[in-house]
Parts: sequence; structure tokens; C-alpha cells
Amino acid sequence: MGNKQTIFTSQQLDAYQDCTYFTRKEILRLFHRYRDLAPQLVPLDYTNQPEVRLPYELIGSMPELKDNPFRQRIAEVFSEDGEGNMTLDDFLDMFSVLSEMAPRDLKAYYAFKIYDFNNDDFICKSDLEKTLNKLTRNELTEDEVRMVCEKVIDEADLDNDGRLSLEDFQHMIVRAPDFLSTFHIRI
Amino acid sequence: MAASRIMETIPNGDGDDDLFELVAVGRSCRAVRFDVTHEDHEDLEAQHSHEPRHRNSLQRNSWSSSTQRVLSSMPSRSIRWNQTAAVSQYQSRSTKTRRRRPPNTPCTANQEVFREAQNCAVDGTQKEELLNKLQDLSAGECVRLLREMPLSFSEKHEIRSLVFCLKAEEPISANRALCCHQFKACFLKVLCGGWLRFQLWQKVLKNISARFGTGVLSYFIFLRRMLHYNILLFLISGIFLLLPQISNPPPPSKDNDTDLWMVTGTGILTDSVMFYGHYTNHTSGNYNIPLAYIFSIGTGMFVTCVMLVYSISKSFGKSFCTFKTTGNIALKVFCSWDFKVCRKRSVKLQSVNICTQLKEMLSELSCRKQKRNLCSTLGWLSVHLLVWSICLLSIAACMIAVYYIHPKIKPGGHKNNVELLTLPLVVSCISHLLPGFFDMLSRGEYYDSPSVHIYVSIARNLLLKGCIFSVLCYYWLTKIGYSQEGQNKQCWETLVGQELYRLVLMDLIVSLLYIIFAEFLWGLCIGNITFRRRKLEFDIARDVLELIYGQTLVWFGVLFSPLLPAVQIGKLFLLFYFKKTSLMKNFQAPRKHWRATQMSLLFIGLLFFPSFIGALTCVVYTMWRIKPSSHCGPFRNRNMLELGKKWIINLENSNPSMQWLSWAYVHLVDNPLFLFIIAGLFLTIIYIHMQVLDGQKMIIEKLQEQIDHEGEDKKFLIAKIQALNEESAQL
Repeated sequence: MGNKQTIFTSQQLDAYQDCTYFTRKEILRLFHRYRDLAPQLVPLDYTNQPEVRLPYELIGSMPELKDNPFRQRIAEVFSEDGEGNMTLDDFLDMFSVLSEMAPRDLKAYYAFKIYDFNNDDFICKSDLEKTLNKLTRNELTEDEVRMVCEKVIDEADLDNDGRLSLEDFQHMIVRAPDFLSTFHIRI
Repeated sequence: MAASRIMETIPNGDGDDDLFELVAVGRSCRAVRFDVTHEDHEDLEAQHSHEPRHRNSLQRNSWSSSTQRVLSSMPSRSIRWNQTAAVSQYQSRSTKTRRRRPPNTPCTANQEVFREAQNCAVDGTQKEELLNKLQDLSAGECVRLLREMPLSFSEKHEIRSLVFCLKAEEPISANRALCCHQFKACFLKVLCGGWLRFQLWQKVLKNISARFGTGVLSYFIFLRRMLHYNILLFLISGIFLLLPQISNPPPPSKDNDTDLWMVTGTGILTDSVMFYGHYTNHTSGNYNIPLAYIFSIGTGMFVTCVMLVYSISKSFGKSFCTFKTTGNIALKVFCSWDFKVCRKRSVKLQSVNICTQLKEMLSELSCRKQKRNLCSTLGWLSVHLLVWSICLLSIAACMIAVYYIHPKIKPGGHKNNVELLTLPLVVSCISHLLPGFFDMLSRGEYYDSPSVHIYVSIARNLLLKGCIFSVLCYYWLTKIGYSQEGQNKQCWETLVGQELYRLVLMDLIVSLLYIIFAEFLWGLCIGNITFRRRKLEFDIARDVLELIYGQTLVWFGVLFSPLLPAVQIGKLFLLFYFKKTSLMKNFQAPRKHWRATQMSLLFIGLLFFPSFIGALTCVVYTMWRIKPSSHCGPFRNRNMLELGKKWIINLENSNPSMQWLSWAYVHLVDNPLFLFIIAGLFLTIIYIHMQVLDGQKMIIEKLQEQIDHEGEDKKFLIAKIQALNEESAQL
């Protein structure tokens, strides 16, 4: 309120506030988190919208993401170039969707994209296998992985095409009230 | 039951390896066979009995290339086609119904805007449509929809600038509307204690969730929520009751300096603002203290009630699920990973837990469900009955003990202050130790599912605490309240207030001692003595019920001791830091999956229904029926509620500008017919909503059936195409 910050113009801050679930203070705090990843790359003055993109290695080294098995997919889904290299906008978008206030449908959409490893807009069996292996750190045997994948597709696939579409996924998420609290990163 | 132990070596941050023991319990069944070829008929039956719908998986690998080509060009194979179809549907629908529907219906347009947004990155014309729709909405709704769109930030930014550009004909009003919306959001947040919520203990909670996950975090969030309620109560009673009383203190009575006054509430504290007896019964200056007493406590309870109901409704909205929980494996795969956990050790533990749970689920599927025969049913029933009877007997014994300890505490009948502490000590020990005893007993029982186990232990714990509280209340309100007139000149309200103060303080002291002895010392023993270096597990349900019990005491006691919420605030602060330290040192992350959202709803519900409503009932009963003592306090033989009533009715004479309040009270609040009509109206509305809900459930079932049928049709047609292609290939 009283302290004048020179990082963003007030229009920029308004835009960030309207497009994400964060307040001004949180946006500034997140900016400083972003900058702390690479102080030499990120300028302190964003008023002329510099094109700064942090490589995936830096994003993946954040303490909140460092040990998450899905960190690469998360970075890929939220980055514009699809490789995991994130601008500040992508960074804010990512933590906004993963925040407490994002609604279920929005989270379900991005969760679907995260679990869709081959980016074909469907979660097929190979996607499921990769998800399972990341979840269990390859502890399940091949047979078990196969059984689980078949069971998942049996349970969730409504239109019987052998893979999960976004609608199937969202329909399944409705049955899990815990999804809102588990698909959440505190920053 | 067969138990398999998995020993896992997990490196901790210091470079050593911690040896963790993870116990998986599997049901006794035949050896797990993952037989995909379905050779065994019994296995096939077992498989099908678990599947709600009969399914044959299509043999995709044997399709010919021409079939594959046809299938790949199916329109539904592209997510973008879905959106275009939805958008064109919406457009055709909207042109027909635009006259009937008012333009600002964002809630029904939500889904279409959502889908359209997914597609609008590609198609420019659809972006136009989207912009037109957004333009019709108010600034607040616009922002809400913008945030919910699943687009990248740059696209959202573009849409936003275009929309506000289009609204630029009246740039001032657009900005003002936006400012108003932001201000309103900010104000609501402050009102609901949001500012406190977002700033207090933020880092600490993040560390806790990083190491222990959402389940344990829910306890600390519950503690923080109770802190809000107490702060609010304290502010209301402090501003309207405490400050006026402090500014006009009555002449001080003789100061009997007793020892342990801080813990027992006697001595200096007896005639202080802490307790009821100190408050004057006349109007000092312009301020009517007795009225302020009733109204501030009444308002505090009312505001707490409103906030509780609001929390319950929000929690209920989050945890409501319309469908039955079939499909557990899919939910386990997609919804069980807790993204908040980010310490390396906890992440590995989480992976191992999920892996174990998946293996258990798979083994359950391959087992045939055991039919319980008569013998085992009887055995199971008798064990349950035995444990329940032991629990009920022990609860009854405690109630009798508490009731008979009480007569020792006669005013002026005790020799020293330490005797006063006997009752609170006994009550606190019972409420801390007996639930542990119940848990030990219930280990011998067998439950169908772990959630039933949790509910039963919560029920027993709640029964114990409810019985203790009701015995105490009964004793206070009947024995002390109705004591003879000339016998003792002391305030019974102050006595009750002192007892509650002692109970709350002793609860804190026993909690802290329990943490030190049962958690620190015992955790050290377990960690060092046993080979496996097992750590303790946090019992969320038991600790939350402790908090609820403490809060019930405070809510009842605020009538007799207006400063009790302040004591509770201090208690909650201390408890938070002690528990957090103990958690970090002595506990490991929980093994079982804790359904945080549903359990949070249960706990808020328990806080409202038995706890708050019970305390409120007792408070109202006290105000209404029991005669205040004649020598002290603001009321002195005048009935509390009667005083309030008389004042409101007399308002029209004393203060003509407030005549409407008096009229409203006499004709609306005090009028049984009006209350009857209002109650009838509410019941009708609830009934209508229930019928609407039933209708919607029926529609959902019918739609699901339709999807099933379409799926069957699709399979049939694909098989037919395959057959035709094979025939034409042969020719």
C-alpha cells in the first residue's frame, strides 16, 4: 500500500491480479522467488516486459518441485515453448493453477495435461504406465502395472475407446473431493 | 491376517540412512495371481463381480489398416472438434433463447466459455464470440471467468486488454467497477479473517505440509480456525464489556492473597474483570453494563454461529460427491499424489505408501470375497460387543467419579487451593488418557474398512467427552445454581466461572505434560530402544476432538467469565508451538491415506453440532431459567433474558427514534405465529431443493445409461467395419 515498487507498472500488476488468483503482495513475492532462481538473468525492472526465460533446470531445482516426480511434466505443461523453460508469466500461471483458490475444473484440465505424456489429448495406456512408474518409483512389477492400467481404463473410460479423454478424467475427478487439496502446492 | 513388512532404507538429509519399517497388511486369500488370460473360470467370475458393467475389451491389435484409417478419421478423436461442436451448439442455442434469457447468466455460460477458451487460441472468429460474451458481463464476473479459463497467461492478457478496450466507451465506469469489485473481495476477505489466515504461521504450515502431507496439516489449520473464533469473541466482549467496566471500576473489595491464584482463579482474580461477579449492575455514565453483558455475549455467539455455518457450507461444497465410490484404483492413481509434500524423505515415503496401497487393492481384486459363516460372525459380534461394553462401563465409571468428586468443592469448604485442582486434574486426565485406552482395545477388533474404524473411535471419544461435559453442566446448573439463598453470600456464577477457568488451564497443563512425556520421552525410547527405529504416528482425530472439547468449555464459560476466550487464545498459541515442535522431532509421515476434505467437514460439523449447539443450549438455559445470585454481578436476582426483553419493549418510550426495533421485537420475534410461518417457509424451501436434487440424480443416471448404450453401439459398428474390411480384403 505505502511502498512504491518499481518492478511492474500498476497496469501490469492489475493484469496479473485479474488473470491469476494472487494478490499484489503475493505476485511481488513470487517475482522475487522467480528472480532468486537466477538473479543475473532476471532484471529488477519488468516495466518494458523483457523476454526472460529461465531454463527448466533452474525451475526444477526449486524446493517445492525438486523432489516431485512430475516436475518435468508440470514445467512442460505450463511453459509456452513446451520444453519446460518458463517466463515469469508461465511461472505465475503455474502457481496460480496449483494454488488453493483455483476451481476444480481448471485443476482437472491441467492435471489431465500433466498426465498426458505424449500430448495427444488422451491419456492412453502408455501414459498411464509412465504415470504409475513415476508414482511408485518403478516398484511395481510389469504384471502389476499392466493390471492397474487395465483396471483404471475399465473404471474411468466411459465411451469405451480404450483411453481417457478429458471428459472421462473430469467425470472421475468429480468423485474425488480430495483432489482439490492434493493438487495444491503452497508457495 | 498376513502382514508383510517392507524394510526401506531411505537416506535422510544428514547423509545417514534411516531404516523405516512400512507394514502392509493383506487379507488372507489365495495366492495373488495376475491371470490376464482368464483361464480360470473362478477368477473370471471374481473379476466380473467387481466390475459394475460387463465389458469385453476390444482386441485393438488385430484391426486391419483400413479399419485403423477409418477410426483415426473419426471426428471424436480430436479434442478441438469437441470444442467447435460445443461452441456451435451454444451459438445456435443462444440465438434461440436470447430473448428468454437475460444477458448476464455467466453461471450457465461457464462451461461453454470454458470449452470455447480452449479452442480460441486457434480460431480467430471464436475469439470474437468469446469477447462478445465477456463484454456483456459485469467486471467482477468477467475477472472470475478470465481466471478460470484454461489458457496461457499471454492469451488471457490479450483477451483482458481487448475486453476492457471494448468497454472503453466508459473507461471511468469500467475502472471504477473493477476497483469496486477488488475492494469488495478485499473486504470480504478481511471480514472472514482472511488476512489472519493468510499471514499467520504461513511458513510453518508450509513446512508441516511439506513433510507430513495434507492430513496432518488439517489439524493445524483447524487449530488456526479456532483461534479466529476466539479472537473474534474476545474482541466483541473486550470492546463492549471489558473496556467500559475497566473505565468505571467499582470500589475494590478486600484482597485475600492466596497462593496459586493464577492457576485456581481465586484470590486476586476473584474480584477482577475475569469473572462475572465483578461487573456492576447499574448504569455507569450512559452505559448500561447489564445490557451490554447480555448483548455482547449474545452477539458473540451469533457471529460465531454464522461463521461456523458458513464454514460448514463451504466445506460441504468442496467434499460433496454425487456418485458412489466405485473406481477406487483410478482415483488412487490420479488423485492420491499429494503435491504439497516436498521433502525428499517424505516424497519417497509417499511413493512407497501408494505402491503398497495399489498392491493391496490388486490383491483384494484377485481374491474371492470371503463369505462369513455363522461362527465367525458370532465371534466378530461378540468381540465388538465386549469392547463396546468395556468402553461404556468405563465412561459410566468416569461420570460417577466426576460427580462424586464435586461435593468436595464447596465454597469455603476447602482447606487449601490445591484441593480445588483435584477435579480439573481428574477430568483432564480422563479426557487425555481414556481415548488412548479405547484405541488399544479396538486393535483387537476387525473392521471392514479403515474409515469405519476411524468413525467408531471418534464416536467413542465424543461420547466420553460429551458425558463428562454433561455431568459437569448438570452439577453446576442444578446444584450450585439452585443453592439456598442465605447460605452463602458468594456468587455462584463466579464459582462456576472459576471452575471453568481451572478446567481450561488444567487441560492445557495436562496437554503439555502429555506432549513432553508421551511424545518426547516415549518417542525417544521407541526410537532408540527398538531395532527398527520406528517413530510415532500422529493421531489426527484424537487431537482434533481434544480441541473441540476445550472449545466447548470456553463457549459455555464465556457467560460466567468474559475473559475466558483470551485464556483460550493463549492456550491455542502454546499448543500450536509445542505440537509443532513435537511433530517435527518425534513423528513420521502417516502411512494410511487420510481423506482430508471429508474429515475436515466432519470435524467442522462436530464443532458446530454437539459442541457449539450444546454450549449454546446450556448458555440459553442459564440465561432463561436460572436465577442469578443476589449479591454480585450485573443481574442480582433479575432474569437475564427478561431484562433484555423489557429493555427492548421499553425502547419506544425511552427512545422514540428506535421505536421500530421495539415494534419489530414485539410483533416478529416474540410472535409465535410469525416464527411458525418462517419455519414452515424454510422447510418448504429445503424440501423443494431436495426434490430438485433427486430429479437431477435421476437425470444423471439416465445420461450414464445413454453413454453406455452409445459405447456399445460404437463397439458394434467398429466390429462391423472390421468384418466388412476383412471380407473385402479377401475378395
